[in-house]
Amino acid sequence: MTTVPARPPLARSSDRVIAGVCSGLAVHLGWPVKNVRVGMALATLAGGAGLVFYAWLWIMVPTADEAARRNARRPASPIAPAVSQAPAAAVAGTLSALPSAPPGPAPFGQAPLSQAPSNQASLGQAADGGAPQGEDGAAPPGARKPGEPPWFRWQSMKYGKEILLGCGLLLVAGIMIAQLLGVDVPLGTLIPAAAVLGGASIAWMQLDETRRAGLVNKTKADQAGGWARLAAGLALVVAGVLVMVSGSGSWEQTWLALLASVAVLGGVVLVLLPWALKFWRDLETERAGRIRETERAEIAAHLHDSVLQTLALIQRRASSEHDVVRLARAQERELRGWLFQDPGREAGQLSDRIKAVAAEVEDLLGNAVEVVSVGDAAMTEGHEAMVQASREAMLNASRHGGGAVSVYLEASDGQAEIFIKDRGPGFELADVPEDRLGVRESIIGRMKRHGGSAAILSTGDGTEVRLRLPAASTDNVEGKS
Amino acid sequence: MNVNQGAVAQAASSVRVVIVDDHAIFRSGLKADLDASIHVVGEAATVEQAIAVIAEQRPDVVLLDVHLPGGLGGGGREVIAGSVPLLGTTRFLALSVSDAAEDVVAVIRAGARGYVTKTISGAEITDAVFRVAGGDAVFSPRLAGFVLDAFGTAPADIADDELDKLSARELEVMRLIARGYSYKEVAKELFISIKTVETHVSAVLRKLQLSSRHELTKWAAERRLL
Repeated sequence: MTTVPARPPLARSSDRVIAGVCSGLAVHLGWPVKNVRVGMALATLAGGAGLVFYAWLWIMVPTADEAARRNARRPASPIAPAVSQAPAAAVAGTLSALPSAPPGPAPFGQAPLSQAPSNQASLGQAADGGAPQGEDGAAPPGARKPGEPPWFRWQSMKYGKEILLGCGLLLVAGIMIAQLLGVDVPLGTLIPAAAVLGGASIAWMQLDETRRAGLVNKTKADQAGGWARLAAGLALVVAGVLVMVSGSGSWEQTWLALLASVAVLGGVVLVLLPWALKFWRDLETERAGRIRETERAEIAAHLHDSVLQTLALIQRRASSEHDVVRLARAQERELRGWLFQDPGREAGQLSDRIKAVAAEVEDLLGNAVEVVSVGDAAMTEGHEAMVQASREAMLNASRHGGGAVSVYLEASDGQAEIFIKDRGPGFELADVPEDRLGVRESIIGRMKRHGGSAAILSTGDGTEVRLRLPAASTDNVEGKS
Repeated sequence: MNVNQGAVAQAASSVRVVIVDDHAIFRSGLKADLDASIHVVGEAATVEQAIAVIAEQRPDVVLLDVHLPGGLGGGGREVIAGSVPLLGTTRFLALSVSDAAEDVVAVIRAGARGYVTKTISGAEITDAVFRVAGGDAVFSPRLAGFVLDAFGTAPADIADDELDKLSARELEVMRLIARGYSYKEVAKELFISIKTVETHVSAVLRKLQLSSRHELTKWAAERRLL
């Protein structure tokens, strides 16, 4: 029933009366919408089965928009068809079971309800777990983890659960029809047996998923809230089942049964705990190992792309000291940025801009430009002008100073100051011809236009350009310390 | 005998130095760069070797790489901690390629008298060695920047605990050093003597080493990823 792959995926349609379930289903099955709606209405008459089925589809099936988004996000993942197929399989099973079902189909509707989420979860994880493998690129897939079952086997098993479930539901429906027709079915032995089988299979499926890729990570059950929710859910279910089973029995009876079941649960937990803990630790170790491996690969790739390339260049240009120094400086800068940059820090602050400009000047002229910054500020228009003025000053310092340039940036709540110092022979501002715009226009004029000031102090031992910009009236300056 | 020799050597403005760095290439390069009046009396590549060589040679100055293999993983900090009895006569100058504030502040707080980056020239490092041997502190512009960032750029009130803030004068000196001024230039700019500048720098170093200001450690930790 699910072997036809050309079917459009099941999604709630925007052409809707209530929630778009019927029209979506019609598109998926290729039936006329009217038929589906009538069928649903008829099924509702059969003990409310249609209603339950509708509600279930409403909850489980994504809208067309959501489905499209999911597809767009993970184009190659097997998740989209699987999600749409899983309900389809159950639909077939439920549909065949429901019309003949006696009043009270709710317990049977329950089975697929609890089934489907676990399916989705497992498939989602399979897709996630597949991603790191894909990232290896050159490495042969699966070569790193011999213990993991091959990918294709999982895929061929993909609809196995649904088929199994459908068969089970058909069986149940058959038994009920037989009972209605007067055939004596030993329900007293069948139901407990079915419960045991079902419980065991659900537990084993869960285990399988956990092994595949950290279910806990997905459901966030490792957080306290997750555990609390789990415990509360368990308690509710146990209490509810007890009340139902003891069937309007006396309060004491229910209480005793509750006590007994809690004791049994406690015993089970006690027995399984060591095993679960060991399993958990294995999982953690494996995950940590995988993270380390990924990190190592990333570092290796980065070093290969940057440092090794630069070293090769340096060997080829060994005759030119200037080139070697420049290459080494540029590589050092790049590596430092990569190693020490705080990813959580806001980028594009004043100090970042100054460092970027310094790097540019360094590359251009080959003299080292050392930047020391204290405090930081968010960029404003005035700050940008300041950065441009400092760039001009750095260029002059590097060009005429002929040695290393020191840049000091201090940004606080009140103002930002930048000092650019070189150790060149110095110059007199008065000696600079009127038509040379570098100092007068690009540095002094620019700072003045933005409400700041610039001073140039030149002696025989070097030149220092001092730029100052008071904070704008809007208080958008952020002190670091 | 060693102590005598050290005193005589200093009088003749010759300094005995031990170089601690795990890269042999860097050690030999540094040795070649240093002035002829500086005698390299020992070398070490690990924490254990360094502690042994320093105890044996009792040098005037140890040029100490911040990152070293061996020991408990503490690097240069551990070498200083292992040589505490000698701190009165042997001075440590930290050398690092790392710009990370945590590393630098840690080694200074352990007792180093200064910090310079490995890229500085032979003349500069020679000057720094003599300065440290003479009991002064050596601040690179970057270390001065760290200090300003850690202590804040507002001067101390009189009421403040003096270890937790820099005085107005100390701030001025730190700012000028961060701007790339030499001690001589700082003295000229502030109309004070070089000796006074050295006094201020030493005072800042003392505050950096002794301040219990919890922000200092927190700040350095936050700046781990500069």
